[in-house]
Amino acid sequence: MTPILPAYSLMDHDIARARPLPTTGVGASLQRKEDRRFLAGEGEFVGNIKLPGMLHVAFARSAVAHGRILAVHKPAGFEDAVFTMADLEAGSPPVGPIRVLSSLPGFKPSSQWPLARDKVRQVGEPIAMCVAASRAEAEDIADAVVADIEDLPAVVDMLEARDAPPALVHEEWGDNIFLETLVEGGLKGDAFEALKRGAAVKVHRRLRTARQSMAPMEGRGVVCSWNTRLDQLEMHTAAQMPHINRAGLSETLGIDQASIRVIAPDVGGGFGYKGILLPEEICLAWLTRHIGRPVKWIEDRREQLIANTNCREHHYDITVYADARGRLLAIDCDSVIDSGAYSSYPFSACLEAAQVGSILPGPYKMEAFRCRTWSVSTNKPPILPYRGVARAGVCFAIETMVDAAARAAGVEPHEARLASLIEADEMPYDNITRKHFDSGDYPEAIRRAMQAIDLPRWRARQGAAEPDGRLIGVGHAVFCEQAAHGTSVYYGWGIPMVPGHEQCGARMTPDGRLELRIGAQSHGQSLETTLAQVANEILGIDPDHVRLVHGDTGMTPYSTGTWGSRSMVMSGGAVAEACALMVERVRDIAAHLFQVPLDQVMLAQGRVSDRAGGHSLTLAELAHVWYRQPQRLPPGVNPAGLEVIGGYKARVDTGTFSYACHAVAVAVDPGTGAVELLDYVIVEDAGTLVNPMVVDGQIYGGTAQGIGTALFEEMRYDSQGQPLASTLADYMLPGATEVPAPRIIHMETPSPYTTFGQKGMGEGGAIAPGAAIANAVNDALRPLGAELTELPMSPRRVMAAIAASRAGGVIGSPHAAKGQAA
Amino acid sequence: MTTIRLTVNGRAIEADVQPRTHLADFLREQQLLTGTNLGCEHGVCGACTLEIDGAPARSCITYAIDCDGASVRTIEGFGGDAPMAALRAAFSAEHALQCGYCTPGMLVTARDIVIRLPGVPEDRIRKELSGNLCRCTGYAGIVRAIRAVMAQSGTPSGPSLASTEPFASTAP
Ligand code: FES
Ligand code: FES
Repeated sequence: MTPILPAYSLMDHDIARARPLPTTGVGASLQRKEDRRFLAGEGEFVGNIKLPGMLHVAFARSAVAHGRILAVHKPAGFEDAVFTMADLEAGSPPVGPIRVLSSLPGFKPSSQWPLARDKVRQVGEPIAMCVAASRAEAEDIADAVVADIEDLPAVVDMLEARDAPPALVHEEWGDNIFLETLVEGGLKGDAFEALKRGAAVKVHRRLRTARQSMAPMEGRGVVCSWNTRLDQLEMHTAAQMPHINRAGLSETLGIDQASIRVIAPDVGGGFGYKGILLPEEICLAWLTRHIGRPVKWIEDRREQLIANTNCREHHYDITVYADARGRLLAIDCDSVIDSGAYSSYPFSACLEAAQVGSILPGPYKMEAFRCRTWSVSTNKPPILPYRGVARAGVCFAIETMVDAAARAAGVEPHEARLASLIEADEMPYDNITRKHFDSGDYPEAIRRAMQAIDLPRWRARQGAAEPDGRLIGVGHAVFCEQAAHGTSVYYGWGIPMVPGHEQCGARMTPDGRLELRIGAQSHGQSLETTLAQVANEILGIDPDHVRLVHGDTGMTPYSTGTWGSRSMVMSGGAVAEACALMVERVRDIAAHLFQVPLDQVMLAQGRVSDRAGGHSLTLAELAHVWYRQPQRLPPGVNPAGLEVIGGYKARVDTGTFSYACHAVAVAVDPGTGAVELLDYVIVEDAGTLVNPMVVDGQIYGGTAQGIGTALFEEMRYDSQGQPLASTLADYMLPGATEVPAPRIIHMETPSPYTTFGQKGMGEGGAIAPGAAIANAVNDALRPLGAELTELPMSPRRVMAAIAASRAGGVIGSPHAAKGQAA
Repeated sequence: MTTIRLTVNGRAIEADVQPRTHLADFLREQQLLTGTNLGCEHGVCGACTLEIDGAPARSCITYAIDCDGASVRTIEGFGGDAPMAALRAAFSAEHALQCGYCTPGMLVTARDIVIRLPGVPEDRIRKELSGNLCRCTGYAGIVRAIRAVMAQSGTPSGPSLASTEPFASTAP
């Protein structure tokens, strides 16, 4: 398909530029259209939905991490209210397991039954579904379900799972490895070995990032019913990718996709947590049809923390080679990802490792690269791609290593980076793993960040002792955020869900308002506003006259949904295409109505007129004629009317590359291990900003999450695989006192490949804080000879690193190599 | 079942509740007031914050039966309230909400701050907010909105950090 808009230039069209007021179109910090309902307390979250005759569901879940199910006993008197996998399999068609395959050779699939069958493989795995008139009663029944389970040794640590497993999570595999991959680039074999021997600087570390919970403020939840008129399942679910949920439900339930409508209503944050087909969704879909009543399940926070998906658990055994100036020469890395018990739908157990292997070089040039990855299965919940996905761990790994190399070379870390970064005049640039960087000036971002944080002043302050005995450190990190990945990227990573073309349906209503229908879903990203700005940019229509329909498979074109910072590029591109088509339709109708040649018709600021000035109509007046007074239209007018589908695919589909440099100054208390952030600067380049206020909001929010990754958040497990954080009092989310307001400085280098030059940027804030803060903390601890190699840098880890250095100058915390301890 | 009498958003109510039902469930399920969101149901996140007898309280760890005789105000009950109207406008202007899930609880806490502590500096605002978690905004817009409302009401938030300056008093 040829895009209607090859690039951002309406001047290419034979119409006057629909020049918006500067306060409404692309580039305006327009206040959000979605705010009113949330400020009033009128958001329609799934928990608020009530259907007549609705029953409530609670799940009986496994108390052990690994075991063989011998029997499940339904409580006496409640046999009709409790369902096990045997019941779901007895239906016609039988309910099947979730099986998500990577297309990469050697991948071993898992079978995740919606209710455990034969074995349980993690604490919290659902065993029985219990239904009652209220949630409280359903929980009472669930408490009375007894499962006889023969304990098996739990596989808890990912390195142990790979090297010396106490058990096999999936016996039929013969080991605990979903997939092993090798990515190489540049020099190989003897040439690589010679480089290693000749490198002036060689640093080796074992690095680890903690397992985390994504923890949106709203959990998952499902309300569903069977519509007998349409013979269709109607499911409301707190989901980021409703079309994908529909596909997954169809596959596991054995019913066709047209018999399923999935609606994601208002969703209280996602961050990746809601990008999954849930076992609970499958169970409730089966149940509502089986019992003929609407049913509801709302995940509570304990279920979320104990049973449902986690993210981010990486281990790096990494060596970096550099020259005497700290310029990067090569990376050699073994990386293990703890993918948990199952391969989740649709991202599979391998997305994280695929990213690690291909993006570990970051925005750096080098001569050789080798990364081997293992996606390992353990008796812990599956991991999902959390905001930033593997980039947060990768950024921590490469950026702490660049700092270590700079220290070894005796240069300032930013000098080592400036010597290694891709330069602006090399763009577009294909790097050592064949990532195609679209545009940008990475060195400039570092220079501006160094200037803004004022490095010399912090260095001077370090020279003088602090009155309170704390140690001052300053550090930074740079990263690239590949976003809006296209077909080739996901196909290459072996992910079973491959994004393709994105569409938008646009309809002008008889009163001249615009309805936009997109298959993505907005749950905080502000698409109701920003896509209205896009429509305004093309059509000149008042954003208040634009209504976005999203997150409903019954109303919208297919889309893989909202993930990977793709919506502003993909849905934004599709909306622009649809609106450009609408411009043509409007002009055609006007030309017929005005009885002037098409090239005499122009559309500006929501009015269509002829160049001679004889005729002028508002969009509402024109729409009124089209729908209500067709007798006024002569023959020959395009009968397709004011309803269009616009489609979009980026001209180069390898994604946009946003990037940023985060620089931070910290004070570390060597007596308590507490870390305080003293200043935080972000120099960010996300191309053309559609709504700068919204972009800043994404950066602030992402950075807060990244600060959680850096300092606080950790899902810990004991040696039996029991989760040690089951409430928000144990799982520490950063609050207003922990998160500063970073200073944000924008650069705007447009992407040459997208409609307006915009780049996906929703995840970036969460990527760099772990790395930047670690570099600052290690800078602070340098006088003590201590170094942190694990996230989060909790007070206990800081103290352990200090103690280890005092004990014998050991670099790194004692837990770096192994174990869950903190 | 126990019968309780209370005022909810200015309306006298008599209702039968189970002893184990918490106030948020009572309001959401029995009174159809779903503006109060639940984020943890163990008293940490603050999403369920509403007003009981004029003070912010967590409705998830308050039993409905303990509210016999109380006056409860939820996010739906601030219609004519000037401080709340100012906060709502400021929340939108400062982009203090994204998904909107924490917002009702955040607004109730913010209103308490601007009324009880006019003119306090930013670090105090942040301390007062520390019982309300937001996973989306990083709190930047929320703090700015509260400061803006304080400034409008003639009690600007005390000396602190404009977003263009280093944010900690210990900065060089
Ligand atoms: S829901 Fe009440 S504090 Fe979290
Ligand atoms: S706006 Fe989403 S949790 Fe605060």
